[in-house]
Parts: sequence; C-alpha cells; structure tokens
Amino acid sequence: MHAESETGSRTSNSPKAGADPVFAVERLSLAYPARRGQPAAQILRDVSFRLERGRALTLVGPSGSGKSSLLRCLNRLEEPTAGTVRFEGRDIRSLDPRRLRREVALVTQAPVLFEGTVRDNLLLRPADATGDFSEARLARTLAEVGLDEQTLDRDAGTLSGGEKQRVTIARALLGDPRVLLLDEPTSALDPPNAALVVETVLRLREARGMTIVASTHQPELVRRLGGDAMFLVKGEVRTDQRLDAFLAGERAAEGLAT
Amino acid sequence: MSSGVIDLSVWQLGLALLLVAAVVAVSLRQALGLERDLALGAVRTVVQLYGVGLILAAVFAAARWYWVVLILVAMTAVATHAAVSRLTRPLPRGYPIAAAALTVSTVATLAYVIFVVVQVRPWYDPQYIIPIAGMILGNSMTSAALAGERLQGELHARAAEVETRLVLGFSGREAVQPLVRSALRAAMIPTVNGLMTVGLVQLPGMMTGQILAGSSPLVAIRYQIVVMFMLAAATAVGALIFVRLAVHGYLTPAHQLRRYLV
Repeated sequence: MHAESETGSRTSNSPKAGADPVFAVERLSLAYPARRGQPAAQILRDVSFRLERGRALTLVGPSGSGKSSLLRCLNRLEEPTAGTVRFEGRDIRSLDPRRLRREVALVTQAPVLFEGTVRDNLLLRPADATGDFSEARLARTLAEVGLDEQTLDRDAGTLSGGEKQRVTIARALLGDPRVLLLDEPTSALDPPNAALVVETVLRLREARGMTIVASTHQPELVRRLGGDAMFLVKGEVRTDQRLDAFLAGERAAEGLAT
Repeated sequence: MSSGVIDLSVWQLGLALLLVAAVVAVSLRQALGLERDLALGAVRTVVQLYGVGLILAAVFAAARWYWVVLILVAMTAVATHAAVSRLTRPLPRGYPIAAAALTVSTVATLAYVIFVVVQVRPWYDPQYIIPIAGMILGNSMTSAALAGERLQGELHARAAEVETRLVLGFSGREAVQPLVRSALRAAMIPTVNGLMTVGLVQLPGMMTGQILAGSSPLVAIRYQIVVMFMLAAATAVGALIFVRLAVHGYLTPAHQLRRYLV
C-alpha cells in the first residue's frame, strides 16, 4: 500500500531539512547534432526532479522516450545541452566524472561482461580504485545478488542472461556506490530471471537503504520498487493522468489474472 | 656483367604497349567490358609517369633544397588525401589528423635515414631523398588507413564495452586502450609479415630496380635492409599518431564516448 500511495504523478519527494537531495535536476535538455544525413534529434526537454537519499525513482515510458539518456546524464555519460544536474548539492560538471561514476553506478540494459572468469570481471577496476576487493567481499557481494561463491570461478561467457545481469549489479556494488542507476534491468530477461533481479534490487533497497533510479516499461517493477515514478514521452515529463492509466491498466490486468 | 642501363626508345615502349593490346583483345573476346578502362589506364600510365619524370628531371637538374621540399609536401598532401578517402566512415578532423601522422612519421624516419644511416650529402640530394620519402609515405599511408579503418570498426562494434569501462570509473583513454591496441596491431601486421618473408616470396621493387640499374645485388640488399627497418619504424609511428589523434576525436575531456559518431 505504501508503494501505491507514492506512485503518482508527483516527481519530487519532500526535502529533508538541512540535507541536499542526492539528485536535483533542473530543466535538463539533451539534443544530438545533425550528422551524415541524420537530422538533429531532441532526446530530452526540460526535465526537472529531485531525489532524496534512500528513495527510489522509476522512469516509465515507451522505448525511445529518453529514459536511458536521462540515466546517462545522471552519471555524466552524456553531456546535457542545457540545464543542470546536482549530485548531493554540487553541479556534476564540477566533479571528476570518474569519481562521480564510482559514486553513481550504472547497470546497463544489456549486461557487458569481459572475457575471463566472473572474478576477473568483478575485479575490473581502474588502478586508483579504492575499496575492499578481497575474496570474502567478492563472495559476500555475489550472495547479495543471489549467486553463490562457486560462481567466482565460472567463465563469464557461460552465464545465463539473468546471472550476467546479477554479476553486473554485483560489479557495480563492489565499488560502494551511493546511487544505483538501473537501465531496464529486467527487459532482456525471461520472467523467472526478471523476478530474481527484482528481488535482488528490492533486497538492496531494504538492506543498504540505497538510492535507486530505474528505468522500465514494465509496470510491475514500478509497483514493486515503490518510491516515485516519472512518465517520459518523447523526452518530456508527463504529469497528466497517463501514468495513473499506465499503472491502473497493470493493476486491472493483475485483477483479471487472479 | 654490364653496368648502366639500356635506354628505352619510344619504339620499344610501343612494343610494350602491345602487351596491353593483347589484354584488350582478351577483354573483347570474353566480353569483359574492360576495353575502355584499359585504354584509359594505358594513356594515364604514360601521361602520369611522363609528367612525374619531367618534374623529377627538372628537380634533379636544379638540385635546390626548396624544390625538393616542395615535392615532398606535394607527395604528403596526396598521401593524406589517399589515406582519408580509404576510410569507409567519415572521421572527425580526418584531414588534419592524417596530415599530422604522415608528416611526423615521414620527417622523423626520413631524417634518421638520410642524416644518420645513409649520410647523404647534401641532405636534399633528390636521387636519395625523393625515392626514400616515396616509400615511407606509401607505407605510412597504408598503415594509417588500416589503423583508422580498424579503429572505427572497433568503436562501432565495442561501444558498449568502452562505456562499461567508463561506468566503472576508467578514464576515456583507458577505456579505449584495448581498441587502440587492436587497431595498431592490424596496421603493423603487414609490415611485420614483410620482415618475415622479404626476399623469399618476391624481390622488393626498389631492390629489383637497383639491380636493373646495374648495382651489385650485395649493394642492393644492404639498401633493402635499411628500407625494411625504415618502413617498420615509419608504419608504426604513422599508425600510432593517427590512432591516438583519431580516438581523441571520439572522446570528450569529461571521459565520455561521443556515441553519435560511432
């Protein structure tokens, strides 16, 4: 019930006194210049929201609505054409992007693992990375995403899609990020694996109180993750009833199913 | 053994042209449709080589350093254009990048060979510097184009891998390093293979020419050894500079990959 009462068209939480929000996004726009016969493309337009520590925000919308691009702006993988992104009160342009990306970890839709074992993949870090990368920690982190210790020695190429996705989440967690950005974490997975990944994310939210921004076109994830939802269409935030309709449609479908 | 060369008369060139006429006959008989191109190609071969011959004869006769430098600049410009137009995808700032890579690799290798190894005096003696520069440019051009082509292909195919490294906090340069390595290897493998097989599979053109011109094969092979080592250096330097500058255009100072370019 708590989750449902929050999933509305509101796009900001009530600020806590004295603390900067984890993210404060002001009138963010992103456009690609015209190139090679392709016209210029407006990807995001005037997107604003705030996200408090420990909260979850789900970006909902059809594919091509700019959800991934918005996530990529939050860890500065993309450079907005206008507007500002503040992370814990500071404009991200004033931060070293490499540090920012360690604080704000992104898990991409299609998991990318490199040649080698799962251990090799978990240990892939820049030379100046700090943190605990001991065997015990690797095993603990794998357990957090529902994989056992034996997975460490497996060839990354032999993992199933769901296992790969969970290894990429573990790889993100090992850097001790403060925010987890999840880009369509379940869309490439079959229902049982999708459910496992959702469980994993929920556990992280509860156990670590981690701030999470996830994009999805699956209402199920919005409902289960709780927190706020933001509906994007063609790069713009929609605050009309379409989001409610989207969620109501899902609830209605669930009602029929049971 | 005779020294010196048999000078070819116009009539002898005409006899050589009969070889092309034979190919035209084959083309007609087999309906290959190549007659027009063969005829045009034969005419261009004669006109272009006579043109170059006349220019080189004038430069050799004048023996002025500024004429030699002008020829080298023109050769570099043509090689730059050839390298850039061989790339199948457009490269941001392709011309200045190719020009820089070819100029640096040619000047550095040429200077070492002319001043240090062969010790040509005066340094601008066209008999040495022009053919050596031509070999360096030709090979640098090929290796730069190969490296560029491979780099673009790798960036296109492995963009997600690059961004995964960026997401983990690697710098842009670190994130593209495996792709740069692969591009450099692709560019240098022909040169390395050349070092392995030279003299076994075919005699290099320069060595053949020197022998035809009356040099002892033992003199000719020494020049060829210098040339092989020189080309190894020139292709490596050319490809390295080209790839480093080219990959820079795909990254931003904020360690981002310009995805719309790849």
